[in-house]
Amino acid sequence: MDVILAAVGDAFTWQALLAIVIGTWAGIIIGGLPGLGSVVGLTIFLPFTFGMDVITSMALLIGVYCGSVYGGSITAILINTPGTPQSAATTFDGYPMTQQGRVDEALGWATFASFFGGVLSCVLLIFCAPQLAKFAVNFGSIEVFALVCLAMLCIVGISRGSLLKGLVCGMMGFFFSTVGSDPITGADRFTFGTYALSSGLDLIPVVVGAFALSEVFVRFSARNEEATIIPEARLRFPGLSEIGRRLIELVRGSFIGSFVGALPGTGAAAAAFISYAAAQKLSPRRANLGKGEPDGIIASESSNNAVTGSAFIPTLALGIPGDVVTAMMMGAMVIHGITPGVRLMADQAQTVYALFVVLIIVNVAMLILSKPSIGLFRYLFKLPLGFVMGGIVMFSFIGAVSVRGNPLDLVVAALTGILAYVLRRGGYPLAPLVIGMVLGPALESSLRRGLLISRGDFLSFFTHSGIATTLFVLIGLFLVWTVAAGILDWRAKIAARRQPAESAARSATTPEGGP
Amino acid sequence: MKSLRYSLAALALIGTTHAAVAADNLEIIVPFAAGGATDIVARSFEPTFSQQLGVTSVVRNVAGASATVGTAEVANSEGNPNIIGYEPAGALSIQPSLKKLPYGPDSFTYICRTVSNPMFLMVSKSSDITSFKQLVEESQDQPFLYGSSGPGTLPHLAMAATVVNSDLKAEHVPYSGSGPAMNALAGNEIQIMADTETILENYDLRPLAVFADHRVEGYDDVPTVEELGLPALDFAVWQGVVAPKGISDERAQQYAEACKATVESDKFKSFADKAKAGIAYLGPDDFKAFVQKRFETNKQVLEDAGLAP
Repeated sequence: MDVILAAVGDAFTWQALLAIVIGTWAGIIIGGLPGLGSVVGLTIFLPFTFGMDVITSMALLIGVYCGSVYGGSITAILINTPGTPQSAATTFDGYPMTQQGRVDEALGWATFASFFGGVLSCVLLIFCAPQLAKFAVNFGSIEVFALVCLAMLCIVGISRGSLLKGLVCGMMGFFFSTVGSDPITGADRFTFGTYALSSGLDLIPVVVGAFALSEVFVRFSARNEEATIIPEARLRFPGLSEIGRRLIELVRGSFIGSFVGALPGTGAAAAAFISYAAAQKLSPRRANLGKGEPDGIIASESSNNAVTGSAFIPTLALGIPGDVVTAMMMGAMVIHGITPGVRLMADQAQTVYALFVVLIIVNVAMLILSKPSIGLFRYLFKLPLGFVMGGIVMFSFIGAVSVRGNPLDLVVAALTGILAYVLRRGGYPLAPLVIGMVLGPALESSLRRGLLISRGDFLSFFTHSGIATTLFVLIGLFLVWTVAAGILDWRAKIAARRQPAESAARSATTPEGGP
Repeated sequence: MKSLRYSLAALALIGTTHAAVAADNLEIIVPFAAGGATDIVARSFEPTFSQQLGVTSVVRNVAGASATVGTAEVANSEGNPNIIGYEPAGALSIQPSLKKLPYGPDSFTYICRTVSNPMFLMVSKSSDITSFKQLVEESQDQPFLYGSSGPGTLPHLAMAATVVNSDLKAEHVPYSGSGPAMNALAGNEIQIMADTETILENYDLRPLAVFADHRVEGYDDVPTVEELGLPALDFAVWQGVVAPKGISDERAQQYAEACKATVESDKFKSFADKAKAGIAYLGPDDFKAFVQKRFETNKQVLEDAGLAP
C-alpha cells in the first residue's frame, strides 16, 4: 500500500502533470493531422525527455501516445480522413454521421468511447497484467495466424454492396505489403531490381494516399462548393441513458482492444478492425452499421484506445514491445535506467505503479482536453477550403516522409492517392486495402513461421492448441453465418422480385379471367 | 474555382517550409527507427560527440531494409564532411554479402568502433537442458528450432555457424525482432536463441556457451564455443561510426579524436553501464581492419550455411 501511495505521489508532481497536459494535447493535434501519427509524435517528443526524470518523461510520451490515438478520430469523422491508421475503422460510421449532420454526436461518442476504452484497459493492466502476459505467451505463430484470419474476415463485412470489389482491394493491400524484403528468407521481392523498393512500402504513406490525398482529389473534382463544406466541429457527450443502452458495445470494444493490445505484433489498427467485425455480428443495431451508427464508432474507438493501456502488458511484464510505439517507449525507459523485463515488477514496483497512475490521468486529461482540441480544429476548418486542403496535402507528405526518412515514401503516397481516387470513382471500398496492408505482413509471416514450426504440416494448425482450435472454429462459424445470411438475403430478394411480378401478372389476368 | 486558387497558394507555401540547413550542421544518420537499441546508444553518443567537435548535430533516423537504406545514404554522400553514420554490425559486415547494395565495406572512411557485446547461445530457463552437449544429444531425435531477429541478422548467423560446425541439429525460424523471438521462446515455439547479455538478463534464459575467444566476466561458468570443441566462432553485436569516402584526412582525424573522447567520457560510460552496452573502442585503422575481417568471416558463414546468393 505504501508503494502505491508513493507511486501516486510520484505521478502527481507539477512536472508530471504539466507533461501530461502538454503531451496529451500535442498528441491529439498530431493525431488529428492526417499523416502525422503516434510514431511521428513520439519521435518529435523523444529527444525532449532526455533531460527529464523517468516519470515526467514517461508522462509526456504516454500523453502523446494516447492523445494521438484519440486525435485520429477527429479528422476521420469530420473529413473522412483518418488522422492515423488506427482510426481508419472510425470513418465507416463517423463520416456518414457527419453527412447526416450528427457531427456533435459522432465526436461525443468517439471521445467517450476512447476514454472508456483507455480507462478499462488501465484497470486490466493494473489487476491482470501478469495473467494476461502469461496468456499472451501462449499466442504463438499459429494462434496469431488464426487471429489474423479472423480479423481479415471483417473485409467481408465492410465491403457491403460488392464483396468482389472489397476482396480486390483487400488483395491489393496484401500485395502492397509483400513488396520488399521477404520476412523469412530476406530476399527482395517485387523490387524490379530497384534498391529503393527493397525497404518495402510503409503503411503510413499508403494510408495517407488512400484516405487523405484521395479525399482531397474527390473534393476538388466535386466542383460543388456546397457539398465540400466541412461542417462545424462540435462536441456533445452522450447522456447517461444512452451510455447505458450501448454499455455492452463499449465493454466489448474495450475488452477486444485490451486483449489484442496485449499480444505482441498486432497493434491498435488491427484491434479496431477486429472489434468492428465483432460489432457487425453482435451489435443489436448491426443492420445500421456503415450507415452512421454510433455503435461502429464505439467499436473502433473503444478498442483502439484500449490498446494504449494493454500494449504495456507485454512491454512491462516480459520486456517484449507489442508494436513500434511501445518499442519506442521501452527505448525511453532504458535511457532512464529502467529495463523492462521479467524482473521489472519486482525490482521497480513504485515506478511501474506510477506509470499506471499516469496512464489513468492521461485518459482523464484526454477527456477534458477533447473540447478545446475540437475547438481548435473547428477554427482550422473554418479557413477557406483551399487552405485546409492544401494543409492536408502538406501534412500528409510530411507525415509520409517522416516515418523513416525515405524519399520513396513521397512517391508511394502520391501514387496511392491517384490509385485510390480512381478506385473510389469506380465504387471500390478503400478500407479493405488498408486492412490488407495492416494485416498482410502478420498473416504472411505467422503462416510461414507456423509452417516452419509444424514442419510443413498445415493440417496440424487446427489441432495445434486449444486457442488455435477455438479461433478456427470461430472462423468456420463466421463463414457459415455469412454464407447462410447471404443465401437468405438472396432468397428474400428473389421472392420480393417475384411477388410484384406475380401480383402484376395476377392483376393483368384478373380482368380477363374474372366474371 | 476559388478553392482551387487557394489551394495552389497554400501548396506554393509548402515549398517554403523546408528547413534551411546550416552548412556546418553535422548530420548523424541512424539506420534504425527512433527508440531502437542502436538509436538509444547513438542519441547518448551524439551530445558529447558534437560538443567535442564544436558543431551542432542532428540525429536523423533513416530506417528500412535491415538498416541498409540509411547506411547507403552515408555511402552515397561521398566527400560530404558533414554527415556520418552510427552503424550496427549487420549493415556493414553482413548485408553486403547477402544482396546487391549500393555500397560495400570499402565505401566508407572508418572512424571508430564504440561498443561491442559478445553473444551467448541460450535456452529457456524452464527447459531441462543445462549444457551444450545435452542440447546436441537431444536434438538428434527431433531437430530444435532456433529463433532470430530476422533473416541475415547476427543471431541467425551465429546459430547457422554453430549448426554447420557441430552435430547440433536445429532449424531457423526468423522473427521481426528480439522481442517477438523472446515471446516465442517463452511459449516454447522455439528452443534456442543467440543474443547478447541484455537479452539474457531481461528474460528467463540460461546461457550455454559464449561466442567469444575468452570467458566473459560475470559469466565465468559459461564456456566459450572453442572449449566445447567447435572452431573459434566469434560473434558480437557491435556498433561504430563511419563517414563517407572522400573527406579530408584532417576531418577524419577530427572525427576520430572526438569519438575517442566521447567513448571515454564519464557521461557515455555511465550510460553504457545502464544500458549494458560494453564499451569497446577501436581507432580508425583497427576498426577498418576489424570490419574487413568480420565481413570475410560472415561471408564464409553465409556460404557454408547456403545463405549467400
